[in-house]
Amino acid sequence: MKFNTRSPYSVRFLCALLLALSTPVLLKSQDNPKPLINSTLEGTILDAKTREPLIGVSIQLKGTTHSSYTDSKGRFQFITGQKFPYNIIVSYIGYEKREITANGSPIEVLLKEDIKTLNEVVVVGYGTQSKRSVIGAVSTIKTSEIANQPSASFDQQIQGRAAGVQVGSNTGVPGDGLFFRIRGTTSINASSDPLYIIDGVFINNQSLQKITTQGQANNPLADINPADIESISILKDAEATAIYGARAANGVVLITTKRGTYNSRPKISLNTYQGASWAPELWDLLTGPEHATIINETWTNDGKPFATRPFRPVSEGGRGLPEEQQTYDRLNDVFRTGRLQNYDLSVSGGNDKTRYYIGGGYASQDATLKTNDYSRASFKINLDQTINSFLKVGTSNTLARSQRANARVGDGPQGGILQAGLHTPTYLPKFNADGTYAKWAGFDNLDVLIDNTDMQSVSSRYMGNIYGEAEIAKGLKLRSSWSLDYNNYDEFEYWNSLTNRGSANKGLAASSISQNLIWSSEQTLTYRNTFNENHTIGVLLGNSIQGNTARQTFAQGTNFPSDDLKQIASAATTTSSSNLAENKLSSFFSRIDYNYAGKYFLEASLRADGSSRFGADKKWGYFPSAGLSWRVKEESFLLNSQTISDLKIRASIGLTGNQNGIDNYAALGLWQGGYNYLDNPGSIPVQLANANLGWESTRQTNLGIDLGLFKDRLGIEFNVYHKYTEDLLLNDPLAPSTGFSSITKNTGEISNKGIELSINSTNIAAEHFKWQTNLNLGRNVNKIEKLPTPIDASYNTIRMIEGYPLYSFFVYKQLYVDPQTGDAVYEDLNQDGQLTVADKQVIGNASPKLFGGLNNAFSFKGIDLSVFFNFSYGNKIYNNNRFFLESGGTRDDRRAINKNQLNRWQKPGDITDVPRLTTQGTNYTLSPSSRFVEDGSFLRLSIVNLGYTLPKDLSRKVKASTIRVYVTGTNLALWTKYSGPDPEINVTSNPLVQGYDLGTPPVPRTVQLGLNVTL
Amino acid sequence: MKRLAYIFPFLLLFTSCENFLEVDPQLQVDESKAITNASSATTALNGLYNRLSANSYYGSNFPALSYLSGGDVQWSGSQSAPQEVVLHRLTADNGYVGSAWTAIYQTILSANYIIQAVPQVVDPLFTETQRNEVLGQAYFIRSLAYFDLARGWGGVPIILTPTRESSENANVEKSTLAETYAQVLKDLELAESLLPETTNRQRATRKTVWALRSRYHLYRSEWEQAESYATKVINDKANYSLLKPYAAFFASNAVGTSESVFELSYTISATNNHSNWWLPPALGGRREWSPTPQLVTLLTSAETGGGRKELLGQTAAPGNLWYGKLYYRSPTGTDPAYLIRTAELYLIRAEARAQQNNLGAALSDLNAVRDRAGLAALITTDKTAILNALAQERRLEFAFEADRWFDLVRTGKAGEVLGITNPNKYLFPIPTAEIVANNAIIQNNDY
Repeated sequence: MKFNTRSPYSVRFLCALLLALSTPVLLKSQDNPKPLINSTLEGTILDAKTREPLIGVSIQLKGTTHSSYTDSKGRFQFITGQKFPYNIIVSYIGYEKREITANGSPIEVLLKEDIKTLNEVVVVGYGTQSKRSVIGAVSTIKTSEIANQPSASFDQQIQGRAAGVQVGSNTGVPGDGLFFRIRGTTSINASSDPLYIIDGVFINNQSLQKITTQGQANNPLADINPADIESISILKDAEATAIYGARAANGVVLITTKRGTYNSRPKISLNTYQGASWAPELWDLLTGPEHATIINETWTNDGKPFATRPFRPVSEGGRGLPEEQQTYDRLNDVFRTGRLQNYDLSVSGGNDKTRYYIGGGYASQDATLKTNDYSRASFKINLDQTINSFLKVGTSNTLARSQRANARVGDGPQGGILQAGLHTPTYLPKFNADGTYAKWAGFDNLDVLIDNTDMQSVSSRYMGNIYGEAEIAKGLKLRSSWSLDYNNYDEFEYWNSLTNRGSANKGLAASSISQNLIWSSEQTLTYRNTFNENHTIGVLLGNSIQGNTARQTFAQGTNFPSDDLKQIASAATTTSSSNLAENKLSSFFSRIDYNYAGKYFLEASLRADGSSRFGADKKWGYFPSAGLSWRVKEESFLLNSQTISDLKIRASIGLTGNQNGIDNYAALGLWQGGYNYLDNPGSIPVQLANANLGWESTRQTNLGIDLGLFKDRLGIEFNVYHKYTEDLLLNDPLAPSTGFSSITKNTGEISNKGIELSINSTNIAAEHFKWQTNLNLGRNVNKIEKLPTPIDASYNTIRMIEGYPLYSFFVYKQLYVDPQTGDAVYEDLNQDGQLTVADKQVIGNASPKLFGGLNNAFSFKGIDLSVFFNFSYGNKIYNNNRFFLESGGTRDDRRAINKNQLNRWQKPGDITDVPRLTTQGTNYTLSPSSRFVEDGSFLRLSIVNLGYTLPKDLSRKVKASTIRVYVTGTNLALWTKYSGPDPEINVTSNPLVQGYDLGTPPVPRTVQLGLNVTL
Repeated sequence: MKRLAYIFPFLLLFTSCENFLEVDPQLQVDESKAITNASSATTALNGLYNRLSANSYYGSNFPALSYLSGGDVQWSGSQSAPQEVVLHRLTADNGYVGSAWTAIYQTILSANYIIQAVPQVVDPLFTETQRNEVLGQAYFIRSLAYFDLARGWGGVPIILTPTRESSENANVEKSTLAETYAQVLKDLELAESLLPETTNRQRATRKTVWALRSRYHLYRSEWEQAESYATKVINDKANYSLLKPYAAFFASNAVGTSESVFELSYTISATNNHSNWWLPPALGGRREWSPTPQLVTLLTSAETGGGRKELLGQTAAPGNLWYGKLYYRSPTGTDPAYLIRTAELYLIRAEARAQQNNLGAALSDLNAVRDRAGLAALITTDKTAILNALAQERRLEFAFEADRWFDLVRTGKAGEVLGITNPNKYLFPIPTAEIVANNAIIQNNDY
């Protein structure tokens, strides 16, 4: 199969042609004959329980496409050529559909709220489906469940909400990147992040940050205001994702933003909250006297003379006796209670042809670690316009500006504000005797950093699309959509002469502007019809082209005339560079679905993708999938069952691809310039060619059962899946003696097997009291099935080895501390009597064995309460921060020491795992050691939300339809054995490194007070 | 069905043009366009010097391996890799050893490319003389790279053609030490024949080859040749001299002084981070390592250090911490890498002469260096005393250059001086990255 034909036209020409030819469609006038009026039906539609008018209810004349909608008072009018009596179908989202015979006008229709979740509409690739007919594994998250969490980005709010979706924070800094996996990690060097699509726009989730914050990165998804989101669909299995073929191996996250409702009066909604955040726990460090005691003990243990111990009287030339040392608390200087605030205002509504949503939001959050903060101003407008009976156009637009004050929070001493606060030995004073700032051990003075850190970034983002949709014939729709995601990421840093970086350079400033543009154009043709009552068939055909251009300009200046002049224009020495990279993707896709009587469902899809990244003969990849489901409930033997209200069995298999995350030009053999000598241009070989480079592909099978019991009071969804990834896009290590470290090629295999369980239960549904419980659990077993050469991730601690899972810690195993000598005893794996790299072994890995969330929601009259826990079990963490802080005195005056160091072996008979203090031997110099591999399991009381909705008559007095006040607390409690302040921590945005703690700000605890008003 | 007509333009989009998926890199060129004429050959040669001067090689890492192993520089920072080097507790995954090995072979790769491609370049403007100069420099740098591998790791895989595909140069086993040194000599001889007898301190000429040959023969205990090649350079007094005072070759932003036979210079468009490791925070560094008290004593003493005390600096009270300041150009990162200095040729010749029992001449060479440092002349007629004095002189003269460790290993004194009981530890380990990806290689003993 080969879709692409050699065409003389350029794509650009086609685009122009398309626009030109489309014009008559837009100008086409109504040419229908004037309708004949035979009856006028008027009526009101009310909620059956409250008798509140319902707005935007659809009323359709049965057997025709003629429909109308209720207005703000629940009224509608219907003018038709038919005579009474006739049947109308009244439908409204969230209510049971009714078919009514109209014998005359006016009528009153009462609609009952639909408590069955089965009628939910699920957003899937290129369309929506009722939950009944979904074959794939799809998790839908209603934003009402996750609203008002003080998370900067929606992806963080998903944590613990969807089975099989693992979300972890890297740091407690708002707006920073996080770890997001749907059904495990499928790739090593290509991306394992899902594909994110918002209202049909493919959006970038890779950080554009270029100025280092030491291993941390911003999260581009934070540019999206969670308040604008209506629903989130997470497509997990191949049946659901294969329609996105080439980029779907890691799952797809579909975000639908809020739109207006036809025929409704403007609804104004205001939401605001104010709150505070702080770090519930910090590190335990030794006091000055304790630190000195440890250092002296190391000294004497090393066999050095007691008389020359470092902490001896000043009169003897020492640093003073241990008991004379002061303790300087820096941690409480660098952490603070931060302020949170949020304002969202939106207006939505529509008439019979137009609907709109306009939203504006502002949020700001201070990190608990000083000088870090995040704020976002966003604006959203969604509009749909029906032009005539067959043509509809619309647009979705998001404009956002995220502003960050950054700091160096991770690894590396220079300018590192957390390290200066955490790692500077506590006995060392903050000021010199002469009152100047004291600097120790390569760290900046903390007060200097707190007052002078100046790192800013501004992300300006536009995400939007326009679409036109034409119903060419009954059931046959053509849709064309053009999308853009443009992100300008502007960073600036200035280090003045008080800081180490600045003093060395007489002031240092850097400016980086990164621009990322993703454009795409998609045309789809869909057809859906039901034949002979029972046969429903749907067909989708589509084509999309997409381009991505990344541009970057960087400038740096040093040698400034004064600290008051910060712009690079003032610098005496400047350097600059620019860069541009591009990639393109062209795709064709098709899907066909069929169902018989709502009982048997069948779906198959095929997608072909061509990528500019691959070798000439390997550009195109083909990704098929098929799925079927059997709605057993519809069978005669279950139809009348009172216990089983729903039962569906699903199965799917499919192939999806991956090409994200590898270099745009990974298939080419390249030389690169910029390697200069004596100011003459120089070039070097940087990459080996691989003309055979092609798609990484993941085969996935999924089996699922959906069970509803007791009128769907209890809903259970269970999935079991097996993902197998082949032809990994791997930076396969080469022997360094070849002059290259690796070549990107298709080699290696990874499997992910897992199960997912979701239980939704309405425990109590009394008149005034309701209690619902949602539980989801996910277990994923990851294994590297084939890997020709083991690969070390950075830090020599995480190694990828065939037969083991990703993120395995490869360390020396400390067996015990010899009670007699106090020395650490390590396992000599190959029993050669020496400790060499051959003795390193896998001890645990960073992936959890089980993870999930539990939510309990209660409502009593106007009061609502939800309590949400999330947990992770069985994941390990390499606590490298502890390696630094518990280094047995080897780091003397260069690092603080933690409390656990006091548990060291001191005398024969001591039983401990903290060896005797010494700089000699392997007690504290053999790294990495299993001593620092810790259990990172945790249970977190993640969110508690208590709200009160004022009674209607009270809110009406202020002309509001609803008023709700609430208080929310997050991270209110944490149960873990992990020795650091928080186990949800990772040093780096490097996707190959997980569970590596080099010290980052812990997840904050927040409490906030909020108000929702709807007018 | 008039509406169907409107589908037409959309259907056109269902096609895709093949060239839509062709995207060319903007920052790199295809390998086939790398070396095609005189100008691109020169560019590749500049790239080769850049590799030689990379941070992981002479920029800081390779000299650091030598002086950190040499016992006179202590670890005063927080990173584990230099700590392991200082403690002689190297493992195969030590980052410093690994990145030096990688950087050296990257240098060899660039040299191999030039050596293979330049003779085939069709360009009438690329004269024979120019070609020879480019080739000669590539041969010289390759010989230096294998020399550094030989003295650091012993026998290593010898790779003489560029890796153009991943299957090439895969699984190459270690040559013996003798074979590795033989390759060094072969390249030196070729370089000597190709390069002009000019003076250039920042690029290789025939004189640079002589200087390296002198060192090569010293390491091979070929005293006569070591002496004769050293003499060739020393005798060029118009161009090479022992600058006085000692600090003149590096202080006050000096570059390319007549002390230098071969140094790599750095500019704002190609910098190194050497000073960062040495300087204290107040001067913009992290003082990851610093001179030992013993070295401080020797360098500051008027009997042993003399003018070489300028290698040291001390922070303000109350810290009063000693630091090395051979590499101090912190705002710019443009400290040169000193590869071969005139002083070394004097000391090589002194040793070669002493070994040939020409003690008087040996002493006069040694005293030339002592004199430059502002020390009194040494007077002795004892060969061992002269050799010991030479070792001491080298230790102080090249305290922060790539010398001390290799000198101790070469003269067999590493055990005695540093207390290393296992002679297998005189070699660095072959890095893990090589071991796991090269099926033919065998780890050095006891790693």
